Amino acid sequence: MAGFVLSGAMGALAYFYPVLTAAATQTGQKPDPLIVSSSTPAPIIASSTAPFTVLLLGSDDDQKCSSCAPLTQSMILVRVDPAAHAVTMLSVPRDLWVPLSTGGYGKMDWAYSRGGASAAIATVERNFHVHVDDYIWVGLLGLIRMIDAAGGVDLVTTRPVLDDYYPNDIFSNNPFGYQRVAVMPGAQHLDGVHALQYVRSRYSDYYGDLGRSARQQQVLLALRAKARYLGPADLPVLIQTLSGEMKTSMSLERLRELLPVANSIKTENIRQIVLVSPYTYGRDIQTSAGMQSALIPNWNLILPMAHQYFP
Amino acid sequence: MGSFGLGVYGYLGTLKATPKITAHAILPSHTKPKFFLPGTMFIAQGGSIFRLKGGQFTQIASGGWTQPGVTLDHNHLVAVQRTTSESDLYLLDIDGHVIKQLTHNANRNTSFNHWSFFPRVSADGQNVFYSYDPKDPSNLHRVDLAVYAMPLNGTQSRARRWTDPFNLSGGDVHPLPLANGGLLYTKYNFDAQGHSYSQLWLQRAPFTVAVGKALTTPQESCSQAALSPDGKRIAMICSGGQQVGRLEIASFDGATLGPATVLVDGQLCAAPAWSPDGNGLAYLAPVGPAGHFQLFYLPVLPGPTPTPIAAASATARGTATATAGARPLPTPTPAPPTPLQVSADLDFDTTAPPAWF
Repeated sequence: MAGFVLSGAMGALAYFYPVLTAAATQTGQKPDPLIVSSSTPAPIIASSTAPFTVLLLGSDDDQKCSSCAPLTQSMILVRVDPAAHAVTMLSVPRDLWVPLSTGGYGKMDWAYSRGGASAAIATVERNFHVHVDDYIWVGLLGLIRMIDAAGGVDLVTTRPVLDDYYPNDIFSNNPFGYQRVAVMPGAQHLDGVHALQYVRSRYSDYYGDLGRSARQQQVLLALRAKARYLGPADLPVLIQTLSGEMKTSMSLERLRELLPVANSIKTENIRQIVLVSPYTYGRDIQTSAGMQSALIPNWNLILPMAHQYFP
Repeated sequence: MGSFGLGVYGYLGTLKATPKITAHAILPSHTKPKFFLPGTMFIAQGGSIFRLKGGQFTQIASGGWTQPGVTLDHNHLVAVQRTTSESDLYLLDIDGHVIKQLTHNANRNTSFNHWSFFPRVSADGQNVFYSYDPKDPSNLHRVDLAVYAMPLNGTQSRARRWTDPFNLSGGDVHPLPLANGGLLYTKYNFDAQGHSYSQLWLQRAPFTVAVGKALTTPQESCSQAALSPDGKRIAMICSGGQQVGRLEIASFDGATLGPATVLVDGQLCAAPAWSPDGNGLAYLAPVGPAGHFQLFYLPVLPGPTPTPIAAASATARGTATATAGARPLPTPTPAPPTPLQVSADLDFDTTAPPAWF
């Protein structure tokens, strides 16, 4: 009997070993023994019922210059309340003009470029007066892989998204190149490449970066919808798929706990916030690096809202 | 014991996401529909156009093809062939052979390329209406589709612009020429909160001659209008700004829409097309973990019910009613009609409705 148990465990170990190695590399966590020994979902531990806030970061990971770090193209604060089965998503505009945690004023997307995830988190926390428990960073190629690994996403694209100056920097040797894209409107099934085009394009959107922020939240929700088909055993495979394209402060076990939480939240309990006028307004700001087209925050409106939804 | 270990390894492999949610669609021509649909339908999947006739899918064109429409004499198709940076309209014969390239949108300078989408032949058979992106010299970032019409036997240089899209909205799509010479189409715009929405619009003449009017409200967010064969009803998809696509029908007198009736709610349905007899609607909706869009048929008025092709092919929605075979429904009942899932494991293109006659 003991031999059967041992051989079963060895079979499981053989199956999970490669992905555990990859996951440990990306999360900075040691392989979680619970993953190895579990072929069935473990019970959700008590801590997963406490509300928590995650900062989602998305950026390009190309080589536009040898010394510069990428700017974030997406920053979304996500507040999850497992007990209430509710989620609030707030897109932090990349052009928001704020004091940076690394010093001085600048656009919000400069924070990650200058100090990585810790600077991005600190800048968001100080300006929005919120506490961020964890972060997840996904590169553009990672988003493509994640969506493809999920078999694509189904969503209603809310408008035709056509862009003559869409960056052609992922599958091209020229990181400064452009390409034309056209994503048709309406309900459809999108693969990773086309879903990225839908969420990344901004030049032909009347609301620019704010418009694409709404589209980014939309695709995140479409990905969440796919989560209902996933089990804990799928997670290592997905993480392996994201090899080098995902960083997070969360452990594998924590991510695994959250899967059933994601499945339990109904669409009507998801609040989506994009900081359009009057929460922000546009203004050109003269800096030593030249004129910057920025968004000025109206903190008198933003902070009460942030306090309400991200207590 | 070694076998048991290998068994555990194999079992865990079956729990992976890959086979469950990333299933590859099969070619329609490698399968059969579950139900016999009357007439002839042209529908696109993965850059190919398929003809569904007599309970059989046949691939008639491949290589970037999408959005097929049919001419009035039913002898030709108009369709889009798309590359990564431009798309053109073509006139095809009914077997998918190119007769004529209608537009020439490719340019050596990528920025001067154009898109042409959603071709539909006018009610008199003389013109083809389509969406096209005119360049805005004052804002090169602006790429909004406007509806144009060009002679089917003429050249693109004779195309006339019919609509004036809202700035940076994505523009005007899904043109539907009317028998009275007017045009029904979908117009996109933003509300004050920055939310995008769509409306059905009616345009009686080119926009330089006549002002168009909205037939639906921004809150309804309707699109993809399909006109019944008798011209008296409109089928459309309305999302209400949500991630669903309600299939609705409403009476239409050529100028106004009557109250809408919701036929399908709570799923991502798309691309409605009326049956040749006007008694039913085809539409597309995702099925299963893979989420690929399948073909559905929904009886709207009393009439023959589609006949199952293969006996009891299991997972189709509504098979209980469908297996009764081809028989007229006695009378309309208060119960909503049951959609029949016509296809399985395919991956149809939802950006335009199938052409069905």
